[in-house]
Amino acid sequence: MKGAELVIKLLEQKGVEHIFGYPGGAIMPIYDALYQSKVKHYLCRHEQGGAFSAIGYARSSGKVGVCMATSGPGATNLITSLADALLDSVPLVAITGQVSQAVMGTDAFQEVDVLGLSLAVTKHSFMVTDVTELEHTLNEAFTLAMSGRPGPVLVDIPKDVQLAEVQFKPRLVEDTATAQQEFLPAAALEQARLLIQNAKRPIAYIGGGVHMADAVAQLQDFLANSPMPSVTTLKAMGTVPPSNAYYLGMLGMHGTQAANHAVQQCDLLICLGARFDDRVTGKLAAFAPDAKVIHIDIDPAELHKLRRAECAMIGDLRELLPAMSVPTHCEDWLKHCLVMKQQHGWRYDHPGERIFAPLMLKQLSERLPDNSVVCCDVGQHQMWVAQHMSFSHPRNHLSSGGLGTMGFGLPAAIGAQLARPKDTVVTVSGDGSFMMNVQELGTIKRFRLPVKIVIVDNQRLGMVKQWQELFFNERYSETDLSDNPDFVSLAAAFAIPGHSISRKDEVLPALEAMFTWPGPYLLHVRIDETDNVWPLVPPGAANQDMLTEKAQ
Amino acid sequence: MSNHVLTIQTKNQPVVLERLLQVTRYRGFEVAGMEMKPMADFSGLLVTLSIVSDKPISLLTNQLNKLYDIEFLDCVESELTQAEAGSMRA
Ligand SMILES: Cc1ncc(C[n+]2csc(CCOP(=O)(O)OP(=O)(O)O)c2C)c(N)n1
Repeated sequence: MKGAELVIKLLEQKGVEHIFGYPGGAIMPIYDALYQSKVKHYLCRHEQGGAFSAIGYARSSGKVGVCMATSGPGATNLITSLADALLDSVPLVAITGQVSQAVMGTDAFQEVDVLGLSLAVTKHSFMVTDVTELEHTLNEAFTLAMSGRPGPVLVDIPKDVQLAEVQFKPRLVEDTATAQQEFLPAAALEQARLLIQNAKRPIAYIGGGVHMADAVAQLQDFLANSPMPSVTTLKAMGTVPPSNAYYLGMLGMHGTQAANHAVQQCDLLICLGARFDDRVTGKLAAFAPDAKVIHIDIDPAELHKLRRAECAMIGDLRELLPAMSVPTHCEDWLKHCLVMKQQHGWRYDHPGERIFAPLMLKQLSERLPDNSVVCCDVGQHQMWVAQHMSFSHPRNHLSSGGLGTMGFGLPAAIGAQLARPKDTVVTVSGDGSFMMNVQELGTIKRFRLPVKIVIVDNQRLGMVKQWQELFFNERYSETDLSDNPDFVSLAAAFAIPGHSISRKDEVLPALEAMFTWPGPYLLHVRIDETDNVWPLVPPGAANQDMLTEKAQ
Repeated sequence: MSNHVLTIQTKNQPVVLERLLQVTRYRGFEVAGMEMKPMADFSGLLVTLSIVSDKPISLLTNQLNKLYDIEFLDCVESELTQAEAGSMRA
């Protein structure tokens, strides 16, 4: 068979059912091999959208996402999504066609040094120069994408390699990596247990690494056996169930007051699969100033990177968490945190008729069937989603965290809907972000995907406008979107029905209409352009110095 | 400022040098000297990097160690004085 056929046969053998992509000259042999294959390909309308769909697929299912693009512009269009997957540790395999090796390096038509371009945005990238290496390389790509700290892997395949003849024997049984015997770090674990037992004010700071390690159950057991307050990063929302009384919500720039104050006051910070990102820590030197730190991660490069840990462990959280469980002695601290949580609870008693986005999102959250997936874009609406919606699992909340990429939400929702056809999938977008991958409405139409789209429209690039208001003397440079298109008509052009609302009393009936409609639906929600996200830790400030609405 | 010499054994891949240099630059370390030669049996490359930095070298070695193409990395603090490092840079 030809190299191109091997690519598709190998995907089949690996059990890959869905891939996302866009064809072009240098990848035509692979598209030819795809024709009538068992692997279902979803034609997106832009390679960035295709790769975000693969990311949404991966994040909502825990499987590897796969996307494909042609050489040159096809491959360059993938770059943003690869960076997104790198910063959020998403297992993704991107296959790109490349010009034939005979013309490589001659500035051939649609030739770009994709291997060179990809260095900074992938976990690893391969260029296959000999068809006999193709099978091994693709296998390595899948293994690498999933292993250790997951991430994006790119495989660039020149056209002559796709066309070359090769032997391939399909294997009936998947190679399973032999489970490695893990030796638990006994001394560090003993130190961790002592730190936990002796702490008066311990807190768990939980990142995306916990669910990526499949350790959600172990974490919940740990919190039950070693009761302590917990906070999560944006990526980890849903790891601790909202019913856990001592769960204080998200920490960081737009975190809850209780979460930020508790972290600032703690004497032991147990950082699990998180990385002290600047949006989390605020002023690093003033972050959790009195705390000793226990830091556990699968990636050795994260330990001591930004904050020295008294006790650092590399390893599998599924094994380490049970081994760390010891009774805590912090009753007063637990009570104190409960009081803070109550004192600083969200308020939804917003006056007037117009729609208050936090309340609307809370109502949306309450109306959603169990185990729905909520995707969002980037900006104020993204922070409101994190603050006011609740999630029963991190796979149910897809938000571009590390890269903060506008245009993520709609294509990610497409991937999630395909990965979980039985679950309801909603994307909450801003009027700015929505337009960044609006072409993917075409994909929704083609595959009749019942994705629900909620656009929170403030006619502004709201988050940037908020910073201009607070930190740039109200000089609103290039953040006005008051000439937005009519979003409901735009959806109608793709045969997607929709409805526009602007008053509070319209919210519940509109949500009802959206969820009772069997197919895709767009709900356009007008809000006031002056609404801002609170609380907010100003850039460079310590996390206890949050600005709140009242203070403004 | 500290000076370190990294001895790195890599797979024999053309892109390997770019990767090493890209990670080193991006993580904020300065290359004061570099040497590369294929191993005797051409199965890999031996790269020696002299690194000058005011940050803990582990911030770099931890990142380099993650690279798929790197088989072995050894790091020693070098005797170079700052002036020597400076002249290497000149
Ligand atoms: C691709 C990209 N470009 C620019 C930005 C910078 N940025 C962050 S939030 C934001 C405004 C987003 O506006 P909108 O989607 O309407 O959401 P809102 O903040 O109004 O809720 C911008 C421009 C970004 N995050 N991503």
